[in-house]
Amino acid sequence: MTVPGTQHLNNQATTSSWWQRLSWTSSAKPNTQTRRTAPASKEPKALTVALQLQRGAFRLQLNDSLPLQGVTALFGRSGCGKTTLLRAIAGLDRHPNATVAFGEHNWQQGRHFVLVHQRRIGMVFQESSLLPHLSVQQNLLYGFNRLGKDCERRLVPEQVIALLELEPLLHQQPEQLSGGQRQRIALGRALLRQPQLLLLDEPLASLDQQSRNDILPYLQRIASQSGIPMILVSHQLDDVVKLADQLVLMQDGCIHSQGPLQQQLLQPELAASGALSLLHAKSLGSKDHLLQLRIGQQQLQLPAPKHSQPSYRLRIQARDVALSSKPITDSSVSNQLQVRITGFHPAPHPAETLVQLQLEGQPLQALLTQQSVQRLGLQIGQLVYAQVKAVALD
Amino acid sequence: MLELSAQDWQAIQLTLKLCLYTTVILLLIATPLAWWLAQSQGKWRTAIQALVALPLVLPPTVLGFYLLLLLGPHGAVGGTLERLGMQHLAFSFTGILIGSVIYSLPFAVQPLLESFRRMGQRPLEVAASLGANKLDQLFSVVLPLCRGGFIVAATLTFAHTLGEFGVILMLGGSIPGETQVLSVLIYDHTEAMNYSQAHQLSLGLLIAAFVVLFIVYGLNRRFERGTA
Repeated sequence: MTVPGTQHLNNQATTSSWWQRLSWTSSAKPNTQTRRTAPASKEPKALTVALQLQRGAFRLQLNDSLPLQGVTALFGRSGCGKTTLLRAIAGLDRHPNATVAFGEHNWQQGRHFVLVHQRRIGMVFQESSLLPHLSVQQNLLYGFNRLGKDCERRLVPEQVIALLELEPLLHQQPEQLSGGQRQRIALGRALLRQPQLLLLDEPLASLDQQSRNDILPYLQRIASQSGIPMILVSHQLDDVVKLADQLVLMQDGCIHSQGPLQQQLLQPELAASGALSLLHAKSLGSKDHLLQLRIGQQQLQLPAPKHSQPSYRLRIQARDVALSSKPITDSSVSNQLQVRITGFHPAPHPAETLVQLQLEGQPLQALLTQQSVQRLGLQIGQLVYAQVKAVALD
Repeated sequence: MLELSAQDWQAIQLTLKLCLYTTVILLLIATPLAWWLAQSQGKWRTAIQALVALPLVLPPTVLGFYLLLLLGPHGAVGGTLERLGMQHLAFSFTGILIGSVIYSLPFAVQPLLESFRRMGQRPLEVAASLGANKLDQLFSVVLPLCRGGFIVAATLTFAHTLGEFGVILMLGGSIPGETQVLSVLIYDHTEAMNYSQAHQLSLGLLIAAFVVLFIVYGLNRRFERGTA
């Protein structure tokens, strides 16, 4: 059991570190902060994939249609077929009898196959993929310089350089850059290709924690500002919950389930790596360095980040939520929300239970011991009070 | 001290011409061949690879013998040319050029294959995802990244052709200005007991070969460091 106070401090430290980072680096452009103000989005384009292949004992079998809007995470264990699927979408591998279509573009069907360089995709690979014989600047412009004459240039190099803060890196050689900086260049290079679809194959997997935290805000900015649908392959739930809007859960070469991240987080398969919930909250402004947030009719307050946004995503670990049948007044936990119990799911540990809750129409999970559930006599449909000990803000 | 006869000069000129032509032709043939070998995984790959390496183990006389049969007036190629009103290729410059190309094939293919493998698929996938077609990829990615491999392939081919003897003697004989290259001329000088003339040419060839190999290994080291 973690001490509530320290847990809170830890979480706060990690959240504030990248907030500070954003504030240092982008003070000239405060507007770049607005996250999750959904870009003027058109109808979501659907990606249709039918794919069957057998490689030794591994079998991939898909026939799905994924509506792509914002960031769609392809999540699953290593070896479940995520990268194979991504490569098929990109056209890097040509599997017989596969079908790939994106919106009105038919990329593969029967003998029809659109080559990679003719699909308007942006791809970021797992490890550094900068071309070693070119300078950073030449790498950045490689795709941009190869755009067709009649291709619309919605993103120009100046914008991308500003968005990803690439200016200081431009005149270096790729081998002088750190892993995180290289991935930022690769990301900018993919964006300048003016892609209709951005494919990210574990872009953070080869980076250390510090570089990961450095690059995440840039990915969040791209997601919120470019309006380009993104597919993010990842086996790290931490990265996924910070970035994704939709989550596609893959298991043993099949798509197990797909849907909005908030709903998908309730899947028992994801609870194994630490159950958590995602809440959408509106900002009511700050008072005494405390950010006031509203979820439906209820409010909560948190230490205010450096920059304010109109709305936030709140990440709450199930183990940081306690329940009581009556409101508690003599506690240091200041965030207490009225919730309704909707179900009980088994937790990875046999002594524990994942209590499913409904907060103003949004799902919340609490990890309690079986003993506590019995002691409090918790039942489905009951109204209880949730004390939230730690929240991470996005 | 250096007293080269007109015949010696002619042989030097002919040798350089043969080496140059062989190198250019081989680079054009070996590049797609090495590329295919680096990419393909089919059952044909092993067979082709063995075929390419054959000149490494065969005595040059065997290769020369079969080429003589093939390109000569009664061979499949030579005979056809005769029927079409052209000359057969035995004892001609074109004949020994074909022989040299085949004989030096592994020396061009091997370094290229090595550098294509070292480069891997990733740079090409990156370039393709950024809109580069195959030809564009060749010029903007493959050639610059495998520059070292191309230089080593070219120099080794050149140097190996310089030292060719058996195939040429079998296929071309020793016709001044046509097939009498340096190695053959040295043999002729020695047969005729002209030791001092043989010595001059031999020493020259020895030094030239050393210089060429010295350059190759020097470049090899530099490129290994550069692309690592």
